[in-house]
Amino acid sequence: MKTTITKTFHVEDTVDNVWGLLSDPRQVVTCVPGASLTEEIDDNNFKGTVSLKFGPVKAVYNGEITIEEKNVDTHQMRLKGKGLDAKGKGSADMVMNGSVSAKEGGAEVDYSMEVSVTGKLAQFGSRLITDVSNQLFDQFVGNFKDKLAESSAPKETLAESGTKETYPSDAKAEQVMRPEPEDNAVNAFSILWGVIKAFFKRLFGGGK
Amino acid sequence: MIKCNTPKSIGGMGHSIKRKEDDRFIQGKGNYVDDIKLNGMLHMDIVRSPYAYAKIKNIDSEAALKIPGVIAVVTGKDLEQYGLHWMPTLMSDTQMVLPTDTVMYQAQEVAAVIATDRYAARDGKEAVIVEYEQMKPVMDPYKALEADSPVLRSDKEGQTSNHIWHWEAGDKEATDKVFAGADVVVKEHMHLPRIHVSSIETCGCVADYDKVNNHLTMYMTTQAPHAIRTVIALVAGHVGLTEEKIRVISPDIGGGFGGKVPVYPGYVIAIAVSFLVGKPVKWVEDRTENLQADSFARDYHIDVEMASTKEGKILATRFKVLADHGYADAAANPSKFPTGLFSIGTGSYDYGAAFMEADAVYTNKPPGGVAYRCSFRVTEAVHAIERITDRLALEVGKDPAQLRMENFIKKEDFPWKSPTGWEYDSGDYHAGLQKAMDVVGYDALRAEQKEKRAAGKLMGIGISTFTEIVGAGPSKDFDILGIKMFDSAEIRVHPTGKAIARFGTKSQGQGHETTYAQIVAEELGIPAEHIQVEEGDTDTAPYGLGTYASRSTPTAGAAAAMAARKLRHKARKIAAHLLEVSEEDLEWEPGKFSVKGAPEKSKTIQEIVFAAYTNHPQGMEAGFEATHYYDPPNLTFPSGAYICVVEVDKETGEIDVRRFVAIDDCGNIINPMIVQGQVHGGLTQGIAPAMYEELIYDEEGNILNGTLMDYLVPTAVESPNWETGHTVTPSPHHPIGAKGVGESPTVGAPPAIANAIVDALSPLGITHMDIPITPYKVWKAIQEAENN
Repeated sequence: MKTTITKTFHVEDTVDNVWGLLSDPRQVVTCVPGASLTEEIDDNNFKGTVSLKFGPVKAVYNGEITIEEKNVDTHQMRLKGKGLDAKGKGSADMVMNGSVSAKEGGAEVDYSMEVSVTGKLAQFGSRLITDVSNQLFDQFVGNFKDKLAESSAPKETLAESGTKETYPSDAKAEQVMRPEPEDNAVNAFSILWGVIKAFFKRLFGGGK
Repeated sequence: MIKCNTPKSIGGMGHSIKRKEDDRFIQGKGNYVDDIKLNGMLHMDIVRSPYAYAKIKNIDSEAALKIPGVIAVVTGKDLEQYGLHWMPTLMSDTQMVLPTDTVMYQAQEVAAVIATDRYAARDGKEAVIVEYEQMKPVMDPYKALEADSPVLRSDKEGQTSNHIWHWEAGDKEATDKVFAGADVVVKEHMHLPRIHVSSIETCGCVADYDKVNNHLTMYMTTQAPHAIRTVIALVAGHVGLTEEKIRVISPDIGGGFGGKVPVYPGYVIAIAVSFLVGKPVKWVEDRTENLQADSFARDYHIDVEMASTKEGKILATRFKVLADHGYADAAANPSKFPTGLFSIGTGSYDYGAAFMEADAVYTNKPPGGVAYRCSFRVTEAVHAIERITDRLALEVGKDPAQLRMENFIKKEDFPWKSPTGWEYDSGDYHAGLQKAMDVVGYDALRAEQKEKRAAGKLMGIGISTFTEIVGAGPSKDFDILGIKMFDSAEIRVHPTGKAIARFGTKSQGQGHETTYAQIVAEELGIPAEHIQVEEGDTDTAPYGLGTYASRSTPTAGAAAAMAARKLRHKARKIAAHLLEVSEEDLEWEPGKFSVKGAPEKSKTIQEIVFAAYTNHPQGMEAGFEATHYYDPPNLTFPSGAYICVVEVDKETGEIDVRRFVAIDDCGNIINPMIVQGQVHGGLTQGIAPAMYEELIYDEEGNILNGTLMDYLVPTAVESPNWETGHTVTPSPHHPIGAKGVGESPTVGAPPAIANAIVDALSPLGITHMDIPITPYKVWKAIQEAENN
């Protein structure tokens, strides 16, 4: 089950600032709902978990993230993630392409994400997966913007503090990133309402 | 008109008597497998693979075994010790019971959790942690045959590709010659998608092994209890479980439709566990497991061609099939028929040349190929011939009804030999289609269609005039695992004239308890209400091969009539003795023998039966019972003429089935109400694949609609108003002239609906659409046609 999401969003900040956040997985992962880094293998390889809950189906993916491309000149990067469900109930693959460019005094971020899931989540959630992923992505954008705003103020980075703690950036991020994997799961029910709204909007609104 | 030979008080053939079994069904007193509760019974749940193709690296049961109530986790390695990790399929292929190293489809059984209650078993299932190494699955059957495709069944010696078998019928050379010289050749490629029977009751069993007496009682959802008992004896004989020590009981069954013919791994694991622990083990699938893992049907990719004169006289047909069987050929066909009775696909038309070939292939999908309410691949064949016939009508510019009328086999030409070797027993195709046209008001509809088309509206009329082939089957050709496909009836009449009749078949909702009683009532004159029908217990019922492929009436129904006739013969002797006349002087009317010319001198069947126990003639065997094993001389060939009228919304692609007329000819009718009920159910299961159902897999082998949330089984909401009727052309070789009807509507409806929708879209240049034809598909086709 494969789904591709493409989004473009605008932020009132410099390209360098935005790129700085986007190109640092340690930072950017904290914006991904339900995700956290657990281990840093080297500059380009990380280990982490993503938790998702689709009604009765809960998936905790343990996986690796690899930075396949990071071009400081063109401000383009490519991340590849591969995860296995902790209980052997499925797997997920993800390729993320992001780029930042200057636009209208701020920065424009182009993001595309191709997610492919196999196993239980695909079996039960195939109909919801695009909508849920869209919702998650919107949350990601929100978190990203918040994070960006917050990071304008000087603060410690992960490397400097030497801690592997997560990075609560605001109340919303905190809610989805509490440390225990059990609670870390993004409950799809909480985003289901958004999905239902999107569905009815499509149904009655005449197309996407 | 249906003529009744018996009064309503006897309730023989032709009477719409109420179904006897419904008293218990409508009062919640049915007894299904899941109703069976035994002392000390354990429960089993099954861990299933999330991947379509993967190596199993490790199965960790530790956490599961810590759950209170969980007593064991059974894996393929455990079964391997007893040689039970693989099992044969009915098609001489092999299938895993539990894998030792590789899983071959998503939702395949990986391990079984045994617990003291069902909830613990389910919790245990969730707690078993399996480590897999994913492999790229083979999902596309055409790609599976390419040279660089991985060989899935490397476990099979000599298997060097994913090709399973090749099959042919008809005369290739003669057919090719006709095609080469024909004025017109039409061709379409069609896919009959993978669908699921989705009966209300899922599959399950209670295996109860008694260690002390070395006896197994197996309560299970099976359409063929006797065959299953023999299979268990053949598989488990080496551990001392011989056939007399096995009792298979098929209690009330909530729908079978072919899905309860195969042996599923769950049954075998339950038996193995019960055998090892000496306690009863219950296994009942949930709805999702049923949909994802069992009993798929169809999945035929068919290239069909038809050759004709420029006037539309059909000359020849050619069929080339690719059959996707999943990872094992676990179809349930008669042994000599890998494509079942697909060769009926030459249809209801009079021509002499046909050639068919089929190749079967392995993919990473669930195993099977069951005959879903269909006499073994007849649905696929009929869809192909009826679609291509409409295609031909379009090509030569003839009305499809007229083209059919001009090509039908004539009533007087029966018995008729088909180009693939079948001998059609009887039929009157012209009368059936004419009746359907009259009922639907065909000419007026065509006129209306013309007006609508002029106004830019899409209206379509679709016809399907199919010939079925049911009642497998004559012993010279038909067997399952070597056992000939006869069936049986045993009638025992008690001293007071009431009877019990037992059969080798097994009703799953067809109403056998009523229709068999009516056949016996017809032949013996004992009221149907006093004939108790029993099936499904191998300890009591005579041996038979079960109920599927519309075979019960053609085989066991015939056996009932023959056994009853044996009894009537005996009754005549007793009556002659009681009335002190010679047998030739007696006349039979339903329920009594009377002396010719002296009708006041008579003996009722009840008096005669009483005498069989109290005053039987010297030298005659006492008692009043008879058994018959019926080996049919031929199959029966029911037919039907269906007309469907649709309106298609050009803007949304929405399809409205406005009318659906189904005229069936199933020979003599036993109970018109039951036939009508069968036709209603079958039509609904016909609209299902035509407009709604398809099991969809992605490239990674995920099933994308593995729950009933996403796999729409039509209900009363989706069903149009079915208008049913019949013509009666008795089977000349069947004792009561009946042919079987359960499957005709499932077979005949999809092409009628598809033809109607394609007819509606034909002004846009559309000549074919694969089923299920959904509004989205229609909308897309309209968009594409308009953009061209």
